[in-house]
Order: sequence, then structure tokens, then C-alpha cells
Amino acid sequence: MIARRSRTGGRGIALSERGGSIVIEGQAPSYQEKVEIGWAAAKLGFKGVVNDLSVEGAPEETLSPPLLADSALEGAYYDVVIVGGGVIGSAVARELTRLDLSVALLEKESDVAAHTSSRNDGMVHDGFAAKPGSKKAAYNVRGNRLWEPLCAELGVEFKRPGSLILFGSALSAAAYPVMAERARRNGVDGWEFWSRARVAAEEPNVAGDQHGAFFLPSAGVLSPYKATVALAESAIMNGARVFLDTCVLGMELESGRIARVRTNRGACRAGVVVNAAGNWSDVVAGMAGDRFFSLHQRRGTEAILDADTGRHLRHIMGMPRLVQIKSKTKGGGLVPTVEGNVLVGPTAAEAPGREDYSTRAWELRELEKHVRLNTRLAMGQAITYFAGVRPCTYEEDFVVERSERVPNLVHAAGIQSPGLASAPAIAEDVARMVAEIASGFRAVRPRDGWKARRSAAPEPRRLGPEARNALILGNPAYGRIVCRCEEVSEGEIVDAVRSVLPVSSMDAVKRRTRAGMGRCHGGFCTPRVMEIVARETGSPLWAVTKKGPGSELCVGPTKGARV
Amino acid sequence: MSRRIDTDVVVLGAGPAGLAAACAAMEAGARVVLVEREERVGGILKQCVHDGFGLVRYRSKLSGPEYALRDADRFAALGGAVMLEAFVTKAERRDGGFSLSCVDKGGVVELSSKALVLATGCRERTDRQVFIHGDRPAGILTAGLAQYMINVQGLLPGRRALILGSGDIGLIMARRMTLEGMEVVGAHEAKPEPSGLSRNVRQCLEDFSIPLELSSTVTSVRGGRRVEGVTTARVDEAMRPIPGTERDVECDTLVLSVGLIPENELARSLGVPLDPATKGPKVDQSMHTLVDGVFACGNAVHVNDLADYVSESGETAGRAAAAYASPGARPERRLVPVEAGPGFLYAVPQLVDLGSAAAEASGGATGAGSAGSAGSTGGADERAAFYFRSRATMPGGAVVRMATADGTELYKRRYAVLRPPEMERFELSPHALSEALAGMRGDGARLVVGMERLEPK
Repeated sequence: MIARRSRTGGRGIALSERGGSIVIEGQAPSYQEKVEIGWAAAKLGFKGVVNDLSVEGAPEETLSPPLLADSALEGAYYDVVIVGGGVIGSAVARELTRLDLSVALLEKESDVAAHTSSRNDGMVHDGFAAKPGSKKAAYNVRGNRLWEPLCAELGVEFKRPGSLILFGSALSAAAYPVMAERARRNGVDGWEFWSRARVAAEEPNVAGDQHGAFFLPSAGVLSPYKATVALAESAIMNGARVFLDTCVLGMELESGRIARVRTNRGACRAGVVVNAAGNWSDVVAGMAGDRFFSLHQRRGTEAILDADTGRHLRHIMGMPRLVQIKSKTKGGGLVPTVEGNVLVGPTAAEAPGREDYSTRAWELRELEKHVRLNTRLAMGQAITYFAGVRPCTYEEDFVVERSERVPNLVHAAGIQSPGLASAPAIAEDVARMVAEIASGFRAVRPRDGWKARRSAAPEPRRLGPEARNALILGNPAYGRIVCRCEEVSEGEIVDAVRSVLPVSSMDAVKRRTRAGMGRCHGGFCTPRVMEIVARETGSPLWAVTKKGPGSELCVGPTKGARV
Repeated sequence: MSRRIDTDVVVLGAGPAGLAAACAAMEAGARVVLVEREERVGGILKQCVHDGFGLVRYRSKLSGPEYALRDADRFAALGGAVMLEAFVTKAERRDGGFSLSCVDKGGVVELSSKALVLATGCRERTDRQVFIHGDRPAGILTAGLAQYMINVQGLLPGRRALILGSGDIGLIMARRMTLEGMEVVGAHEAKPEPSGLSRNVRQCLEDFSIPLELSSTVTSVRGGRRVEGVTTARVDEAMRPIPGTERDVECDTLVLSVGLIPENELARSLGVPLDPATKGPKVDQSMHTLVDGVFACGNAVHVNDLADYVSESGETAGRAAAAYASPGARPERRLVPVEAGPGFLYAVPQLVDLGSAAAEASGGATGAGSAGSAGSTGGADERAAFYFRSRATMPGGAVVRMATADGTELYKRRYAVLRPPEMERFELSPHALSEALAGMRGDGARLVVGMERLEPK
């Protein structure tokens, strides 16, 4: 395969072995070919695939650090430094606070969950789709069991609608025994065959062309960014430090161990480093001299349908073509969100760009096929759409392990789908690995007074009239509705800005409160939210940003205006 | 304990429609509570510092705030009660009337009323609704948001803007942004003709040498944190981008003026049937929806071109709501549909109530319409106003005819020119209505409006 590719590539491809991994160098004619060569190499049985093929017209990407520069971290020491504030880094941080260790989480963006953790469909997969025997399968099934109690502790909504894999033909329905065997091998919590009539009865708006379904009752949904924020806040409440706008630029090794972590805010010393850097985790591994794997990017686009569509859909559902059941993703579908919207997607396309979230017209056309599964849904109900990038290794499995080369480094890398579902289970394992390493240089004891519960900020719209009235009497800001589409009050926005993880960008406020997430898409509430953020943070009105420095909403006051 | 307020008429929204409705209802003798979610009354007029308001209603050229102040002052003089920064969280029908849950900074308020007037206005379509792709940086905003930032907040949204769409707010903002020192590189309209009023194309684009590119759209946005540029493309008759015509335009701001959608979430929750053509409630000539006791007016019913007509429909709705809430027997509603021919984008009202037309014709037996109207400037109180827009531009004009199903003509007029951006209006006396429809009975009863296109000479 690789030899054939190298001929078609025309410029020659060099293979070598380095530290147990296969290294591919040379030039690939296209990104797709580069990825296919990487996949082929993954079958050769090496520890990892380091795919350094260059693609014409697609230069290697480099991290662009935040504009912020100070010395907040200079000279500091933490027992554990976590690189990356996605759901994995945040879950690891919280898990580690159970122990008496000092923990710092470094996130290069102005908020946690800024990338893949906020750019997915919020599905907590059942674990059926993962390849039996893979890390994905094990972590997914355990993570699925952990999320529900964890959400209860965090004060985050969790629902378990279950997932219907619809059969598009009598032939595909014949695959049921094979599917059941896979579910059994993966240890999935329950599965059933549903007849065509049963599907129609339990999912009244399902389109007529189904031939029954494989039902997985354990599949759940949550808000991925709210969950990530809650994990990070819970970690902070238990003593962890979270540094936003803080990008790791390099690492200094002494006697083979990471001694110092360099950032745009100074260099700090670290006992143990956790690599949870998402789409940059291979680059971060390289900073420690341990790049035994490399990532490729698989972009996925989803559409969000209006908030009143959720009542038309009871279960997560999709109708993968027979060949897709074994493919690298399960092919997307319809997901009823905890908030009552319906998410359509995601697509899956290999495409370069670790942070390329631009959407394309063809992607939305592709989503049509999912919408057609439900007779009450249409793409005309879409209020917005977005893209996410899955960080994939060529082995298409997670990397969750202690580094073989660097004794104080733990990787939680290549966490693509079902990464959200797996996060609590991965965090358990990573925390155990960190504790093993840390016990080599200090005593590791449980933290006194660790609190599992996070007291979530009030959500007045979910309260009954008397409770809501009492809340407003205590603080009138909860009675001032700022976002009319999602019924978000000024008090909730103030809570978000003043939380233990203070944020000041519009996107961060939106992720926490839903202000601006509704059908008018911020047309009405943007000025009000800006005013509250500016007032609470003491910054000028025009300096309020969409997503951190460089994304200011305005350039300054108008002529003669006093702002 | 939450507060409770009992009243005759609740008016939701204190923009031009709601203010007029509240005033008219009070003048007709009703007890009124006006509910407004913002800090001040006036609605979108508060941010419209340009002039051109009031030409029809007051025969003078006013700015938006000046125009709003007229009815705000009128309402204050009537001693009207307004709840500011109040938001309705739930509306339901109860005991022949309505029960509304509101929140404001004093807590939860339970409002009950006999009649309800929806004056909730409209919202702007967004970049996502016209399927713009690419990145999503800061610097993409609707024309109304740009207007609020510049005129109310005193903020400059960018330095170099491209406008997508040629709706009136977009055109007005092209001028406004230019006056504030921004460079407006052009307005792109996917349709082959402008969407806004001709006077705005002249006064806001042509007078400032801002190019208007018709049959052209924005397909994608470039820029990670702040807009760095957009891709424009020519479109075919089906408004699909034509490959090979893409052009990259450098700008830091994309302003959208791509249409308005009536806000009807509350109407929907009350089961009020909507017209797919207007996206607002179907109403009769009293702005009465198909749910008894629920009235609607202004841009919540259909998007008007002038605020004056918004106020006019508010007056009608307020007066009718007061009559509905007044003690005594209500005339039985006998609704017949008004069918608009294929030449119309839409026509409002979609129904005529013969019951109230007959009552009006026989001398205001409903108890409303005469008592307090002396001070109002609406004029022609009892006449039924019809509003319509043509589906296409008719450069040679058209003949518009309204008739009963059996051919009895009620109205006929020749228009010199018809353009979709310009709303047209005509009126009929209730007398004519009731007379023409006197013989109509049964299921076949209906009115038909037709349009006959004339060729340019």
C-alpha cells in the first residue's frame, strides 16, 4: 500500500523507524492521500505513525500564541501542569484535585472548551460504535456510566434519550446479530432490536422508509461546553489554578525529565505534565521530545435547529449505510439536545487545518439526509451551523498512557469521538498515572475537604413562579431579561462574568448562559451583554471581545461619543 | 408572593404599534396595561435618528424618537400604565380571557386581561439564515445591531464595511456609517432589484457614491478573530452563486440587511394561526386574529415599509381590543377569507369579519371608535384598511381589483407602478363592505383581490 502510494506520489516517500514508531517523510499529492498513507502505515504494527509528509499548498501549521504577555507563571511550581482546557484537561484537573497536589491547567484561549469540546453534538455515546478491544471502547462504556452521577455532582443537565440506529432496508436489518455481538463484546449497557412498528410507535415522527432499528438505551446527551466549564470550576473550587490565554511554547528537559514549561506568561516548573492539548497534542508531545504519534484532522459540521424542534424528536437517531457501521465515525444523525434544540450531523471529512472551523455549502446539503429521517424537521429550521475538528491518530484510537521516553509526562491525546463520552473514564486513568509518577517525588494523600458538588448558578427560567419571585426579590438582576430568545437574565450574565473562572468574551458568556444562542442570534441582546460585561470587568465598551483579544466587537467610539 | 394585576386589555410591546394600540384602547375607555421588555418605550424607533417618519400620519418629517414621543406623550397624558423591563414568560387563555406570567425587576407578575394585543415587532434575519459560510469572526452584524451600536451606544463597529442586502435599514446604515467616517465599500443584493425604498437607494447610496451591486451576494467570510474579508459572487436567476465570479473584498465588517421576520413566539404559544406569506398572524380588518380576544398589529403581523402604517394598525387593534373587552354582547364573528391572487406577495387582512363590519356600518354598536377618537390623528377610524405588496415589480403599473366571489366589485384602482419594497394601501368603508357582502352566505363566501399587470407604454 505504502509502496504503491509512493509511486503514485511521484516524488518518493521515505520510511524509517524511530523510537518504535514508523516515520513517513516526503511529499504527498493531497491531504487525503497523506491521510490514507498514514492509515496504511498504522496497520504495520509500529507503536505509532509519525506522518511528516508534506502536502503541496498546505504548509505545516504552527501555534499562534495569544496576544497576552506577562509573567504570571514565571518561577512558579506546580506538582501537575495540564496542557489544554478542553473536556479532557478539565476532567483531569478536577480528578487530580481529589489528591493533595498543586494543579495548574494552561489553556491558550480565553475560555475552556473553546475548540473541539464546544464543537460537537454533546452525545454521550453508548460505546457500540467503537472497535472491540480498543481504548475507545473501554473508555466510552465506562465514561457513559460515569457521566450521569458526575453531572448530578456538577449541577449539569444530563439526559438519556437512547439511540436508534435505523435500518434502511430489510437487508441491513439482518445485521442485527452481528451488531448485538459487537455491543456485547464492548460491554455496552443494553441493546434491543426494535421492529418497524415499535420504532414508529416510540418515535412518532420517524420517516416511513425505516425497517426497524438497533436501539441502544444507554446513549445520553449533555451540553459539552457547560460540562467542561463545570469541571473546570469544580477543579478551581477544590484548589486547582486555571490560566486562560496561556499557551505552552516549549519545554525544557533536564536529565530526560520535563523541568520547565515555557509559556507566553513566563516559565513554570512542573512535577508532572499532562498533555491534553487536543488538536495540538502531537505538537505538545514534540516539545517534550516524545512525538511518537501524529494527528490528522477530520472536520465535522453540524446544524442547530430552532428551539421548538426538540419536541418532534425523542431519541438520538441515524441511518448509517451498511458500510458505515464499520467506518471511522457512525455517520451522524439527529440529536435532541438537553436544551430542546435538535442537532443535525456531524459530517466527517479529512481536511487540513487544526483550527479551521469554516463551514462549506456542500456540508449543509449533506445534512439534509439526516433531517429527512424525521417528518417534522427541515433544514429551514436551522438557526445556525458550526464546524469542529476531531484530533485523530492514524491508529484511530486514543493515546492515554505514561510516556515511554519522558518519565514525568502523561498523554491524553488523539481524543476524537467518542472523546466527550469517554472523558470521565480517561480522567480517572490519567489521574492514577499522574499519582504514580508524583508519588516518586512527594507523598500523595487525599485532599482534605474535597467537594464533589459544585453549586451551579441559578437559572431563573427553570424555576416555578414562587421560587423565581423570591430569587428576583433577593437580586433584581434576575428579573431583568437580557436575551429574549433564550430568556436569560442580567443576573445570570453577571454570575458568568464573576464566576470562579471569570470570563469576559461574548462567546464565553454565550456558552455559559445561552445569551445570544437563540433564533435572533444576538441581534437584540448583544449590546446589553456588552454593557454588562464592560461594567463587570471595568473595560471600555468597545473593547469587549467575541472570543478574546483581537476579536473586539467595535473599533472605538463614534465621533464625539462619550463611552 | 407574586403580584397580580387585572385589566381589560394587555398590550405587549411599546414600539409604534403597541403605543398606538394602548392609546386607542384607553381612549375607547378600556383599562390598559402596556408591557415593554426594554427600559424605555419607543421600540426600534429609539435608534432611528434619521428623518422621514410621520409624513403620512402627522404630515411632518420627524426622526424616529420624535415620532415615538408623540404617542408616548399621548399615552402619558391618558395616564396609561406601562411595565418597563418586563418580559412575558408564559401566555395562556383562561376563563374566557388571558393569563400572562411576567417577570420584571420586582419579581413575578401575574396579569389577567379580557383582551390581548400583540405588538411584538419583528427581528432581523441573520447571516446563518442566508447561509453564509467560512469563518465566524467578530465584525459580522445585522444592520439593526450596527444602528443600535452607532446611534444609541456611540460605538463604531468597524472601519471598512460591506453591506449584504438592500433592505431599508441596511441602506440607512450605509449613509450613517459613511457619516461616521467608515468606508462603505458597497452594498450587494442577491435579487435583481433593490429591496428597500427607492428614496433610500437615492438618498443613502447614490448621494454618497456607494456602489449597489445587484444579483450579487456574499458566499463566505474570511478571518479568525476579526473579519478580514469576504467573498462575493454573482448569482443566477435562482440566486445561486455563479462559479468563477468570486471576488475577494477586503473589509473588517459585514453588515446584513437581508430581511425581517415577524416575532410571533407568543402568538404561536396561544395557538394563533399564522400566514406563511407574512409569517404573522392572520387577522381580520380589526386586526383580530383567529383566536378570539387576541389582536395583533404592526410588524408582528407583516413587515411594513413605514412606521405610520404600523401605528395605524395599532390604532385599529387597540380600538377593537377595547370594544372586545367592553361589557355587553359582542357581535358574532362571521369571517370570510380574502384571497390574494398570484400577483401579490401578500395581502393583509387575510379575512373580513362581516359581523363587526355590519355592526360598524349600523352606527358603532360595538361602543368603540367614536368616543375618544377626536384627539387621535389616525383619521378614518371605521374604514377598513388593506395593505399589500406585489410579488414582482410592475414597471407599467397594474390594476388592482377587490370583488366578491360572484363578481360584485368593491374596489378598483390603477397603480402607475408597483414594486415589492413599497407597500400599498387602500381602504373600504364598513358600509360598502357589509353591503357588498350582505348576500354572502355559507362556505363559498369570500373576497378576491386580483392584479392585472399593465405593460409599460
